Amino acid sequence: MARSGARAVGTTITALDRQAAGVSPRGSRRWSSIALVAPAVLIALFVVGGGIGFSLVQSLGLLPLVGEASLSLDAYLANGDDLVRGIGLSLAIATASTALSCIIGLTAALVITQGRSTGRLVAGLSAFTIPIPHLVGAASVGLLLSDAGIIPRILGIPGTEWPDIVGGSWWIAVVLEYTWKESAFVALVVAGVLASRVARYDETAALLGASRARRLRHVVIPLARPAVIVSAIIIFVYTLGSYEVAWLLGRPYPEPLPVLAFRLFTSITLTARPEAAAVAVVTTLISLAVVALGMAALRRTPLWK
Amino acid sequence: MSATLRLDALTKSFDGRANAVDAVSLTVEPGECLAILGPSGSGKSSVLRAIAGLDSPTSGRILVDGTDVAGVAPERRGMAMVFQRPLLFPHLSVLDNVAFAATVAGTPRGEAREDARQFLALVQLEGFGSRPVTALSGGQEQRVALARALAARPRVLLLDEPFSALDPELRADMHELLGQLRERLKPTVVMVTHDRDEAAIVADRVALLRTGRLLQHDTVERLYTRPASLDVARLMGGRIEVAGVVREGVHRSPLGSIEAPAGESWPEGESVLVVRHEAVHLASPPVPAPQGMTGVTAVVTARHARGPRAAIELAVGSATLAAEVPASRPLTIGQEVAAHIPRSACTVVTPVPG
Repeated sequence: MARSGARAVGTTITALDRQAAGVSPRGSRRWSSIALVAPAVLIALFVVGGGIGFSLVQSLGLLPLVGEASLSLDAYLANGDDLVRGIGLSLAIATASTALSCIIGLTAALVITQGRSTGRLVAGLSAFTIPIPHLVGAASVGLLLSDAGIIPRILGIPGTEWPDIVGGSWWIAVVLEYTWKESAFVALVVAGVLASRVARYDETAALLGASRARRLRHVVIPLARPAVIVSAIIIFVYTLGSYEVAWLLGRPYPEPLPVLAFRLFTSITLTARPEAAAVAVVTTLISLAVVALGMAALRRTPLWK
Repeated sequence: MSATLRLDALTKSFDGRANAVDAVSLTVEPGECLAILGPSGSGKSSVLRAIAGLDSPTSGRILVDGTDVAGVAPERRGMAMVFQRPLLFPHLSVLDNVAFAATVAGTPRGEAREDARQFLALVQLEGFGSRPVTALSGGQEQRVALARALAARPRVLLLDEPFSALDPELRADMHELLGQLRERLKPTVVMVTHDRDEAAIVADRVALLRTGRLLQHDTVERLYTRPASLDVARLMGGRIEVAGVVREGVHRSPLGSIEAPAGESWPEGESVLVVRHEAVHLASPPVPAPQGMTGVTAVVTARHARGPRAAIELAVGSATLAAEVPASRPLTIGQEVAAHIPRSACTVVTPVPG
């Protein structure tokens, strides 16, 4: 990596020399910028492209662990019902987590940018939340909110009367855990965008007669929208593909896509490997579609220039 | 759009430090344009923010049409403000920016936009409505900001150095535009500026501030010709200060005896004669001073180029004078000239103690 970086810098210097010597500056600058990003792009392509490509090939039956290679959609159809249920469940969890994270995160960002002491407190809490791994968060939610958890014990509520937050049919604990961590992410990203610009615009709008609610609707939220959309894309794709939280806090059946994929991948049935790849490919396709939709929404906001 | 604005001992201090604004009292009549002039840190923007309701004063009152606006939120005060940066809402088109006040007031969109179109025409930007604000030049942005503020029909229009980021030509255009808008809409305007020339061009009256205190609130002409103190004379760019004594209404100094202008009387005692250097005429030595002028013989001690003009420094005995002449006039250092000082341009101020 370091060596290729040095080579790229060397290329730039050569490019600059050539530029000085009168070679078309635009062309050489383009080449030098391509050379500069090339190391990162190549590594990303190798990992992402290689991973997706390998899964695709395997899911189509072209790389079986045992037996003859033959092109077929069997792996996609083998767990048809589970796959459809998994898609529905994963979409529901991701949608609920993303929506809640965006609403709570945006509210927190607004509190942070007010600049009062509560704002500093919220900013501190958000910054503290970010480095805690999801796995630790999930374990904590389980310990706190399961029917034998700390909270029902403190409240003196017997496990039988405690709602099925962990492992229940509504996947509440999973959504809660994602929302807890991702809303902190939204809060910091949106606050960062708003902090630099919102105060002056807010004052201007107030002086034009806009009440607090009108300023929120006509100025602050539109200014925050691109940052919220970008955060939403990231959160949706992450929660759709994340395994450990759903596995720890969810119920055994039905399974969200990543849990299903991992179970099939580690299955003792060797023929299940292409089926795991098929689930992974479906997850990837949904993610890509969501990114495309999100980018289209982003392009429609007037601020995205 | 034209309200009376009165400040009554307006005081603002930040965190217990010295007052940023110290007991400023003044009145702006309906349709008048007041310029709050002062160097940076003089508290002029603090006055404006207090009027707008963006900061609450430490003490004192702000009255709009006789009503105290203390505790009234900025959005209910009916004041629109144009800042140094245009601060056009980046997510709205030019037209929707101008229509903003009407939109948030609940006017139907079509009506708000129709109204906005008229204000865009007023600032000579017809047809620019559908553009995004990023497609405007600096001068155009500030015009849109002005149109947006005016479309809110403010009782008082507040301008916080709105043209100081523009180049001189654009500023001149904006000054002319503001003049036209004032003629048509007659808004009460309070403008903050650090530029004497801008204050002179735009405003009817000027409030000169330094370290939060109001030094003089007067017409532009009187600030130049009848400064209330040596501070005012210096802040207005006055370069002639001749120490002397007033006895029986006549100022005696190395310049000789200079009588108070007709109809004015000067207080007895030690005082400093101030007169604008622009008022001093230079002639060849034998030329006698015309009626109403005091003539002294002076020696040129320095000459500074000022583009089309030249600034001349002169010595008259132990006193120094200054004058301005066309750059083409061949005055050289050491040359003897006759300096003619119009009596009507003279005034005296109390010397600074120590």
